[in-house]
Order: sequence, then structure tokens, then C-alpha cells
Amino acid sequence: MASACSWSVALVGLEGRIVEVEADIGAGLPRTVLVGLPDSALYQARDRCKAAISNSGQEWPISLLTINLSPATLPKAGSHYDIAIVAAVLAAQGIFGAEQLRRSVVLGEVGLDGRLRPVRGVLPATLAARQAGFTRVIVPLRQAGEAQLVAGIEVFGIASITQLVAFLRGEPMPLVEPVEVMGEQAGQHAGRRLDLADVVGQVEAKWACEVAAAGRHHMLFHGPPGVGKTMLAERVPGLLPDLEVHDALEVSAVHSLAGFNLADELITRPPYSDPHHSASVASIVGGGQRMAKPGAISCAHKGVLFLDEAPEFQPAVLEALRTPLESGMITLGRSELHARFPARFQLILAANPCPCGQAATPGGHCHCTPMVVRRYAEKISGPIRDRIDINQGFLPLRKAYLKVARQRAESSAVVAERVLEARDRQRRRLAGSGWQTNGEVSGTYLRRHLPLPDGLQAVDEAVDRGRLSARGVDKVLRLSWTVADLAGRDVPGGDELAIALAMRRGEQPGAVRQEAAGP
Amino acid sequence: MAATESKKQIGVRGEDLACAELERQGMQVLERNWRCRLGEIDIVAAESGAAGLTLVFCEVKCRSGLSFGHPLEAITYTKMRTLRQLAALWMREHRMKASSIRVDAIGVVLAPEQEPSLTHVRAVG
Repeated sequence: MASACSWSVALVGLEGRIVEVEADIGAGLPRTVLVGLPDSALYQARDRCKAAISNSGQEWPISLLTINLSPATLPKAGSHYDIAIVAAVLAAQGIFGAEQLRRSVVLGEVGLDGRLRPVRGVLPATLAARQAGFTRVIVPLRQAGEAQLVAGIEVFGIASITQLVAFLRGEPMPLVEPVEVMGEQAGQHAGRRLDLADVVGQVEAKWACEVAAAGRHHMLFHGPPGVGKTMLAERVPGLLPDLEVHDALEVSAVHSLAGFNLADELITRPPYSDPHHSASVASIVGGGQRMAKPGAISCAHKGVLFLDEAPEFQPAVLEALRTPLESGMITLGRSELHARFPARFQLILAANPCPCGQAATPGGHCHCTPMVVRRYAEKISGPIRDRIDINQGFLPLRKAYLKVARQRAESSAVVAERVLEARDRQRRRLAGSGWQTNGEVSGTYLRRHLPLPDGLQAVDEAVDRGRLSARGVDKVLRLSWTVADLAGRDVPGGDELAIALAMRRGEQPGAVRQEAAGP
Repeated sequence: MAATESKKQIGVRGEDLACAELERQGMQVLERNWRCRLGEIDIVAAESGAAGLTLVFCEVKCRSGLSFGHPLEAITYTKMRTLRQLAALWMREHRMKASSIRVDAIGVVLAPEQEPSLTHVRAVG
């Protein structure tokens, strides 16, 4: 009898694929059939859309209605197809011309009263629509700002089905109160800015943070409880420079997909993610049965992932970080599709030396047996430790030092400026290589295209003694470059290399401080 | 029309209208309200075309308004399945042979003070 179609987007990871929603009104007993591999949230769209249409002054066709979501082999999940289904059904009934929907992508969940509710992933879906050559997106009014972050595509926000009908018919829009959504997750970027000056003492650890921030190096903090490990880790994002436009768009897209409300602006600050140690593998790396959601590592893309009390995490969770740490992305395989999320995060682990937290601490009284201490340390496995650039030990502060340190603490702003300068040097040096920071540069590039620092004997010696792996050598080289960048040198020398080696091995915290304070 | 028409009266009136509609379409009504242990067939009609005789088993659903949904929406899959079984029983009892059989549904809306509206859906189950 009559058919029409509209367009929506299926998100597989960050990648969006255009989905054609067809509605056909045919002869038969009144029934609605929804085909095209829907999940249960999408299958229930039938009932939602039916009620929403009847409550919007329109009619649901009294005959056999077939709704097809094509490509039929791609599994589809979520509630954001609702409004596309409604649009196709209304167009099939001739409420507005089907040509009105051409070149438009419509996204949104409908409530039973016919008003639109926000959905996650509007930003990546809009990007996909633009890429596929669509010229207009129609989204829930509250998310128009999010869609407008994408340049080069017309964005139209609507509050209800009645507004959609009026808009597509070219009639004046009726006034509709947009839906208030309770308990919406605010983006993490709308967060606090913590100052480095709040942390008393720990000059050496602060410097390690500065190096890590400058070169995007991974860190492991170890020390007794209450010395400021968590406080410092929380302050690392504040040292990082703002995200570049391309990165900001990518980070915002991931957060949109994770269900954070972007509040109409791009995330321009590096994100910070600190999952609790009870976290599951799926919550860290991302997961979900049909529609994979990004996990904490993707939410920390281009930012900082802080795992406090790292030995308390399930071993499987920590080990799952191995591949993304190297590749900067995570591919989640499911029976029906593979989702890929970016995950170039900067890892900071914090650990106590033993269950009681006092082992190897001057003046501390550890009650743990040597075996317990060893077991505790082994919870962070060798492969993970090998991927850490900076091993930073923390010592408890002495009372006298506490007073002095309180007076002359450097603020985050001062440190961030030095970090920014070091980043500029890196960007100039790495221009055209595709990398931006020392922490990301491949080992091959490091050894072939950049001058080798002097005094490599110290590194060779460490390799000979089996204290440094091949990956470790690259890590030390990268660190030495960052140290040189911070010091304003063009090429790292023996000093920088020695500092880098000490930071990597984390053996003599005292020695590093003296050398660093030297020049 | 009496203001308080009983459910049964509404049903009978709907079936009358349905029969008239089928006859208007050139079918011959063979039997109405045939009952057996399994249930009831509202209308059995015969339609003769180029391909031979077609037996039409028709379910009629009548409602006095749309507040509980369209009458056709009340014709469920189970009802259709029963109707197919009934059709076979009817044919056995009447020793009828036909080149094809068909199950139709007719929805009748008898809203007060309004013209009755009929929806005839052919070959539903």
C-alpha cells in the first residue's frame, strides 16, 4: 500500500554506520513487525512509538505495519532509532512528504507522551552522518548543542513529535516543554582544578609528575599510606596542556558514547578517570553484549587513568591493560561485531609496598612476613611493570620538612607552563611523524630518526645485567628526551640519560632529586 | 437504535453488515454461526472465480467504539489458528471440496450516531 524511509545511525565503537529505517503499510490484520536484528531496547520501540504517535495527535496505521532496519545483517541496539521509526511511519501515511526526510539523519528516543529524550552518542553519530554525505541531523532539542559541535552539517533540535511534524510540513512549530532528565551524568571535564601547591613536600615526586606530564609517560607510585600519592595523581591532569581540536572532538565523541552529557561544548581539558579497585574488566576496557560501551581506559583517552591501590585490582583487570598500553586503542570482539575505541591514556598506578603499608619505610614498623610483602608486590605483574616509564617511590615527610615545604610550593600553573614549553619542543621535533609526545614515539623512530644521546654505556650496562628489557631501553631513551625538553636542551646528554635510568628503575630516589635540582 | 444495545445485539448487527458486504462483493453466504466443540465460525461464504470455487471462512469482530482499539486488533494469532482448524472440521462435516480456501477478517465499528464502518481484510491466516 504505502512505504517510506528515514535514516539513522548505528554506532559500532566510535564508527557510525548509516541505517535506513523503512516502514511499509500493507494488507493484513493490524500488527507491527519490527525486523533487522533489533535488541530488546529497540524491539520495545514498537510499543513506545505507537503510544507516542497516538499521544501526538497522529494515528498508528490499523493494518500490517512492517518496519525494517537495513542493513538487516548489522545488529542494532539502543533506543535512538525511535524517532526515525516514527518519522518513517508518519511519512508512509503521507503526514508529510517522504522527500522531506531525504539527506537527513534523525536521532532520539521518544517518551510515551511524544516528547523526545536525549540519547548517547549524538556527537559520533553526527560525525558519521556528515561523513556519509547527509546535510542535516534532527536531534532531541537538549542535544542540539552537542550535534552543533560538528561543523558543516545543519542541526535541527526538536522537543517532540508534534514539532517534528510541523517542521517537516513547514508549519509554525508548536511550543513544547522539553523533557527534563533526572540523574544525568555530567561530563568529567566540568570538574575541579586542583593545585599542585596543595601537596606538601614530595618535591621529587612532583618533578616526576612534571616529567610524566611533559612526555605523557606512565608512572607507578609506591610508598606508605598518607604521603600524597593520590593527591599528586589527581593533580597530573591539571599540568597537561589543553587538547587540540582534533583530539577534543575524539575525546568528546567517546564521552558522548559513554553517556556523559557534553553540555554543548567540546571537552578541551584532558580527561581523568579513576575507577575503584573493585572494577570489572568490562568496566575498564569497555564492553557490553551487543552495543559495546567505552570503558574507563577510553574515557581517559588523551588524559590520565589513575588506578589507586593497584595491587587490589583483579589480576585480569590489570593484565587487560597490556595491549591498549602499547597500541593506544582497544578492539572489543563480540560474536556479531568488533568495536574499536581509542585508548591512548597515560597510566598512573599507586601501590603500597605491603598490606600494612609500612614495608621498606624508614621508621615504619611492618608486620608483614617477607612472603606476604613479595606476594603483594607481585600483584602488579612483570609485563605491566615493564610498561611503566617512571617508578616513583614516596617517603613519609619529616615534621621539620613539612613546615618548610608548606611555604614554597610551586603552583600547577607554573609547572604547566614548563610542561607546555616542553610539549612545544616535542611537537616541533616530531612534526610530520604523526606523534606528538615522547611517550608515544615508536622505538624504531627513536633510534633511527633522532640523534642518540651520549653516555649510552650506562644503559648498555643495565641491559647486560638483565635489569633493563629492550622495551626498557626505549622507555629510558624517551624519558631522557623529555628530561632534556624540560631542561631546554636540544639533545639529551649523559646527565639526562642517568636521570632517566634512575627514574625508570626507581632505585635511588635520593640520587634523582639531587641531580634534578642540580642545574 | 436502542441506547442500551447488548453486546450480543452489537455482534449480530455487525455480522449482518458483514454478510451484506460479502454478498455485495459477489460471494454467496453458505452458513452463519456454525458451532462445534472447538468454537464458532461467524460466516462461511463461497466465491467462484476463474480458478474454481473458493471457500471463505470469515471472522467478524464488532465494537461500538474505538476506545478499546480497533476491532481488528482483537483478532489474535490464536483465534486465526482456531479458525483454520474449524475450517477443516466444517469441510469434513459438510463433505465440501473446494479448489482453495481462505480466511478473512472483518472489523465493524458501530459508533453511536454514526455510519457503521467496515474494514475487510482478505487472506489473513
